[in-house]
Amino acid sequence: MSRNAIQWHQKPGFPDTHYVDTSIYTSEELFREEQVKVFGKCWIIACHESELPNAFDYRTFQHPAGVPLIVVRGEDMKVRAFYNICPHRGNTLLYDPVGNAKRITCIFHAWSFDTKGSCTDISRGKEGYQERFKCEDAGLREVKASIGYGGFVWVNTDDESGSLQEYIGDALGMLEEHMNMPLEVFHYHKAVVDTNYKLWHDTNSEFYHDYMHYFNRITGMLQPGYFDRKYTGYPNGHASVGSMSVRYDKYEGSKNRSVGWPGLAPGGWILIDIFPGMTYNLRTSVLRMDTAIPLGPNKVVIEFRGLGLKSDTPAERAERIRDHNTIWGPFGRNLHEDLLGVHGQGIAMREGTDSKWVIHGREENMTIHDEGGMRHFYAEWSRRMGRKAYDPFGTNPGASPAPAKKLATA
Amino acid sequence: MIPKQSIDELIYRSCMRLDAKDFSGFLELCDPAFRYSVTAFSPEIRKEMIWLEHDKAGLKLLFDNLPRHNSDHSPITRHVTVYTVEREGDAGNARVVSGLQVFKTALDGGETTLFAVGKLYDTVKLDGGTPLLVDRNVRLDTRMLGIGYHIPF
Ligand code: FES
Ligand SMILES: [Fe+2]
Repeated sequence: MSRNAIQWHQKPGFPDTHYVDTSIYTSEELFREEQVKVFGKCWIIACHESELPNAFDYRTFQHPAGVPLIVVRGEDMKVRAFYNICPHRGNTLLYDPVGNAKRITCIFHAWSFDTKGSCTDISRGKEGYQERFKCEDAGLREVKASIGYGGFVWVNTDDESGSLQEYIGDALGMLEEHMNMPLEVFHYHKAVVDTNYKLWHDTNSEFYHDYMHYFNRITGMLQPGYFDRKYTGYPNGHASVGSMSVRYDKYEGSKNRSVGWPGLAPGGWILIDIFPGMTYNLRTSVLRMDTAIPLGPNKVVIEFRGLGLKSDTPAERAERIRDHNTIWGPFGRNLHEDLLGVHGQGIAMREGTDSKWVIHGREENMTIHDEGGMRHFYAEWSRRMGRKAYDPFGTNPGASPAPAKKLATA
Repeated sequence: MIPKQSIDELIYRSCMRLDAKDFSGFLELCDPAFRYSVTAFSPEIRKEMIWLEHDKAGLKLLFDNLPRHNSDHSPITRHVTVYTVEREGDAGNARVVSGLQVFKTALDGGETTLFAVGKLYDTVKLDGGTPLLVDRNVRLDTRMLGIGYHIPF
């Protein structure tokens, strides 16, 4: 039976933890607040160490809290991060996404900085500022940077934050043995999609949508063991999904795999979602990393990286690239479907469309089609935002019908 | 000797058939040893990237599986201009470089937007009666493809 307006807006018959109000995906006000309370406080992946192999190599990064960053390897080989903002008249310091800069010299009035963020020269400084302003007053704003968990470069714009290790805790335990060798990025592309970043992270946090993927239906869902995989939640909103056998031989063209990944059973699959928008995805012979960077409530840029082992032979690397392309490349079978999904959500859930609820109500003992991964995310989101995901503005009347079941925390 | 016009028309016909989603018609223009790839250079990671790579059988499988996937159904139009044709001897191969622009037309309302630009690097086999594609490298300048696409350019 279809529903009328009153019924459409009625709270779903689930505990409050099992659905969210769609304004969390559409509100400009909440987006601005997320930039401060979520992205401004969490450790975020800016790039991978293999993108900065040499001293003075740099990468620029548009941090989801809003600030443009430079990530640069110093002469001492330490990686540091700074605002990509000139302290003089606010110009962008480094324009290219990548490069090598012994000195960072602003093109505007030629102030110079070293890779430790110290100002080394103010052009005609004495003449203009006399003793009133010196290089010591003009250092770059440094933000915390730390390398870890597969060689990724993590940054945190909050000077008061805890360490990266405290933030991750045990969440990446399942992957640690598979990432204790140097890795290298071989694939990088971005997609800008008119949708909310959380919808992308949600898609990475639920496997129920394997129905959308022909590839996954036949290589995974129809195979024994598929429904044995379990979600585990960790502090700070991270969640993992355990390994299972994926029958790639069931998909013509995906047979005869040989390279694999150290320690990963053939056909194994480990997926770990790191709050608030990063996903480790180890499958076949490739580690994929997604980084979701919101540009607005209904716009996200997602960075996609494919990684192999630094020690790969050309033949091994070629096979990893083929494995990656088949499902995850821009022309891959699955990535397009996943992006099509969140693109469609972005069309249906916009201010004014009268969308109201998104349901995360599946309970299957935290196995693969349980929606506990998303519930775990929104518990953390609500804690950090000081708002209820099911009622962010305190405008949804009515009480929850049943007590919420808690997700087992490892 | 196979005239240049026949080589040009092979390139143009291959794009017209793909535009029309006449995939078996496209494969008829390809030699059994045909290889297809989409490549791009990423300045961000300073690396050459392969985004898609198939032999003729792999490409046929990709085409055959298209109805089983969920895809963006907006049609695309490939605009191609043959820039250069270089022959290797009289009956050898010809190397053909063409400019490529791909436009996407929305189903709802028909708005057309530029989807991608790049070049086609084709190798054409000339030793039979009709020229055939033996290798196509779609070299993309555009790396931002939004939600992506299931049909190769
Ligand atoms: S704005 Fe950078 S030196 Fe003036
Ligand atoms: Fe998916």
